[in-house]
Amino acid sequence: MSPTPATPDAPVTPAGPPATPLDEAPATGSGQPGERRRFRAVLALARFETHDLLTQIQILFFFALCLGLVVLQMVRQEGMDDYPILNMVDRDTQTVPPLFALAVLVCANAAALRSRKYGTVHQFDVLAMDSWRRTLAHILSVVPFAALTALLVLARYTREALKPGAIGHGSLGELVVGPLTVLLAGVVGVLLARLLPSSFTPILFVIVFYLAVVVASELAGQGKGWAWQWLSPVSLDSVPSGDPVPSDLLGRPAAWHALYLLGLCAVVACAALLLSGGRTRAVKAATALALATTMAGVIGQVPRDTAALEEARKVASETPLKVQSCTKYDGSTYCSFPEWNGVRDDWSGVVRRARSLAGGTAATRPLTIRQRIDVTGGVEQDSSLTALTTPGEVTVGTHWGGNRVPEFAVGVATVLVTGTEEATTGELCGDARAVTIMWLALGADPTPLATFRDVRLDDSDKGSAVILAPTSGFSLGADQTTVVRELLDRPRAEITERVKTHWTELTSASTTTAQAAKLLGVPVPKEAEKCEE
Amino acid sequence: MTIDPLTEPSTLRADGLALRFGGTRALDGVSLRLTRGVTGLLGPNGAGKTTLLRVLATAVPADDGRFTALGHDPRTAAGRLALRRELGYLPQTPGFHPDFTAFEFVDYVAILKELTDRGARHREVRRVLDAVDLSDVRGKRLKRLSGGMRQRVALAAALVGDPGFLVLDEPTVGLDPEQRMRFRDLIAQAGEGRTVLLSTHQTEDVAMLCHRVVVLAGGRVRFEGTPAELTARAAGRVWSSAERAPGALAGWRTGMGTFRNIGAPPAGADLLEPTLEDGYLLALDGESAEVTA
Repeated sequence: MSPTPATPDAPVTPAGPPATPLDEAPATGSGQPGERRRFRAVLALARFETHDLLTQIQILFFFALCLGLVVLQMVRQEGMDDYPILNMVDRDTQTVPPLFALAVLVCANAAALRSRKYGTVHQFDVLAMDSWRRTLAHILSVVPFAALTALLVLARYTREALKPGAIGHGSLGELVVGPLTVLLAGVVGVLLARLLPSSFTPILFVIVFYLAVVVASELAGQGKGWAWQWLSPVSLDSVPSGDPVPSDLLGRPAAWHALYLLGLCAVVACAALLLSGGRTRAVKAATALALATTMAGVIGQVPRDTAALEEARKVASETPLKVQSCTKYDGSTYCSFPEWNGVRDDWSGVVRRARSLAGGTAATRPLTIRQRIDVTGGVEQDSSLTALTTPGEVTVGTHWGGNRVPEFAVGVATVLVTGTEEATTGELCGDARAVTIMWLALGADPTPLATFRDVRLDDSDKGSAVILAPTSGFSLGADQTTVVRELLDRPRAEITERVKTHWTELTSASTTTAQAAKLLGVPVPKEAEKCEE
Repeated sequence: MTIDPLTEPSTLRADGLALRFGGTRALDGVSLRLTRGVTGLLGPNGAGKTTLLRVLATAVPADDGRFTALGHDPRTAAGRLALRRELGYLPQTPGFHPDFTAFEFVDYVAILKELTDRGARHREVRRVLDAVDLSDVRGKRLKRLSGGMRQRVALAAALVGDPGFLVLDEPTVGLDPEQRMRFRDLIAQAGEGRTVLLSTHQTEDVAMLCHRVVVLAGGRVRFEGTPAELTARAAGRVWSSAERAPGALAGWRTGMGTFRNIGAPPAGADLLEPTLEDGYLLALDGESAEVTA
């Protein structure tokens, strides 16, 4: 056999029998795979990518940081943490995940860029898995990190919710924001890799995005429109501020915002798939659904019945009884917003202790405890409550636990001693009533001197200071401070006996501090100082 | 395994493949047939070898012409997918993910080949790493492996999933002689029962490995046949002379100080035993500037 000489136009082929038709050629593969098998391959790749992301130092560092912060929040020992307000705790869970989201964004971007960076993209392009399915795997690979974040959020929230003093209820819409933030960041990382394939892109994006969020938060804070707050995926003012308020007064479209974030995740994911060539019917349908979901989220967040919300806040601030219920314990009435019903017992304990130290009719005088808020100026600022003028009525706020307990005790004692909350600086300065109030508030406390320092604005037990109370509080002169400190050092039974014996004098505006000291059997202070303004 | 190219059925048939890059005809009506076993693809730089391999590996579609491989027509999505599932492709300069271990990299490729059963896939990865003699370093990161080892990882990645059609683009470039010998052995093993298309500059590779050879130049097939047939084409067309023969298609000074000439010998010329390289150079018909020295 001799081959035909090769010419440029006629390839040389050896002579011989015709080749077997290609249809009869041996096929070594398994043929057309089913869509299910293809999706299983995507899941396998997603699992591989998740494992790879888990080994990234940025991910490990930021996750450890977030875990540490959450654990810190969980083990923090402050009195008020014993009575967590769950409609604030849910929002508080949104503060930590953005840190983790940052790492997920950068690492997901790096993973999606890997093939391009190391020149394997052309090798992989001829393999069975399409480019857009690889992108889908990258998107799915960040889902476990969102789930991990959800676990952190759940752990934090559950711990708070299981505390016996937990108040109110959280919102699922608020709780899912943290995990959705992480998911969105990861998906954005993948999209950026497909849109602007450079390792500098995510860093640039994070800087620009941060600045945008700062501006949006600033504008939202200035009340320039709901969109600045609710269309930004991340809000810098997610840290709850202001006094706790009933959930229905928050006016936060949390569920719609969560839906908006979910839709946004899906839109970004679909954009990444489409950019990768995944222009299948399923992806197009998913894109349409994602856009519809996002739009529904946007529309749902548009403030609609603001007048009703403002009216509800006005009612809660000015005529709370319309939305409150009341209970009687030991002759006193306790009125609270429904979510605070469980705290009434604790309030009654404080009242009982203060009354047990009082003399005269105060020991049995029925009080009315009114829970109050002032949200007429919005819910993001602390309430400034004016003193009640009705005799026998005591204000209690929406925070409970920690320092709020002795502050409430001061409020109760003020009403027991003076009849109303209207004890101003001028009225109590220099007379015996301030001393008596402090005794009633602190006399039954297990650590009275420490609590005394806590209810003083200057946290000391010397000199004059403002005494904190649920409303305006009052000033305690240096001489009164000296007497109170002496009282708290003495045996409780002895002082209680003297207080009850001299109740009329000790609750009279005409009795001086020096006279009170004599009546109570403690050294008379050398000189009276001016009260703190 | 002995393969008879005359009776072996075709596993790949290409007809009139053409591809342009701007004004350049990278492929100009390439038609060829491949069978099981190793087929060498010889050609000078710029001959279109890599382009042809990329077309056959479904990396780029041809502007014109068609081909079927293992019974699959890649012009349809289903055919392309079916072919890709049976394809092993080792590009000229394979990329690597340096932070992956050898095992991870091959496993990654196996996933992209849609091997979904984790246990079976891992067994397959271990098998191919064992086949390329890298079992001992499978846990090492690729950035810590030598160039030769990485090339074997790339071959393992091409082999994973037991593809029926293997496309190897100059896999021995940059390897030292010992590594090249090892690679030849691996390719020879890979050719058992598979269709292997091996692009190379090295005629020794073809002589030692291939049962068929295709010579490509200027985007056209210049020869298609067995290595022996290519060698035979130079019979009576290689001669020795004391000076460079003016009419020779190619010629070079040998270590003995005489010139080895290829072309139409003058009468009474001192004819030499032809080699595969002589046949290859003749097939190029002076197209490559590299063949004259």
